Amino acid sequence: MEIEIISFGKISELISNQKIDFDGIADTDNFKLHLEHQFPALKSMKYKLALNKNIVQENTQIINKATIAIMPPFSGG
Amino acid sequence: MSEKKIKNIFVNGPITPAFIADSIAKHSSKTAIGGHSIFMGQVRKDEIDGKFVAAIEYTAYEELSLEKMHQIREAIFEKYPLNCMHIYHSLGTVKTGEICLFVFTSSAHRKPAISACSEVVDRLKAELPIWGKEIFEDETHQWKENI
Repeated sequence: MEIEIISFGKISELISNQKIDFDGIADTDNFKLHLEHQFPALKSMKYKLALNKNIVQENTQIINKATIAIMPPFSGG
Repeated sequence: MSEKKIKNIFVNGPITPAFIADSIAKHSSKTAIGGHSIFMGQVRKDEIDGKFVAAIEYTAYEELSLEKMHQIREAIFEKYPLNCMHIYHSLGTVKTGEICLFVFTSSAHRKPAISACSEVVDRLKAELPIWGKEIFEDETHQWKENI
């Protein structure tokens, strides 16, 4: 399963935009576990995910070719 | 008066006083309007650990921001009797003292324009995926966080 990861703000300094081949990652909770395992610094940071441009509010199924954005707290204005 | 088209709000670099003046001038033909409310966000020269902010560099998840802004715009038009509403936010580098946000609402009488303007600014800051990187005079940086 191919997932495109895009990251923003402070997190873009930690995780670069990339396409990854994931197997066995079925949902966003699972994805978070994988991500925090790969980038332990993320565990102490606040962030939200957006799956295909929808902000993830609850655990959501991930389908192939998904784009997941990793977003730290917003600071516009 | 809802607008169906998704509008772009992003401007590269600072929002100039001339742009704002021009935007005000364009409303002289809309004679049903009796009150305008304007909010402008300006980059502040904050001092953090003895260092001064020189500029803020803005980035955004543009597509998601525009979609969110569209939803906010629809909700605000639903809630208040507005004649029009214009929103502009900078991307890229905006130096201290320059304008990075411009919100402009108009209505027949002042109160809806004032309330809508304030609500748009609050919601935009909380809900739009935009990030500001504060660049210090010595070129180090830190990421801003809205409280």
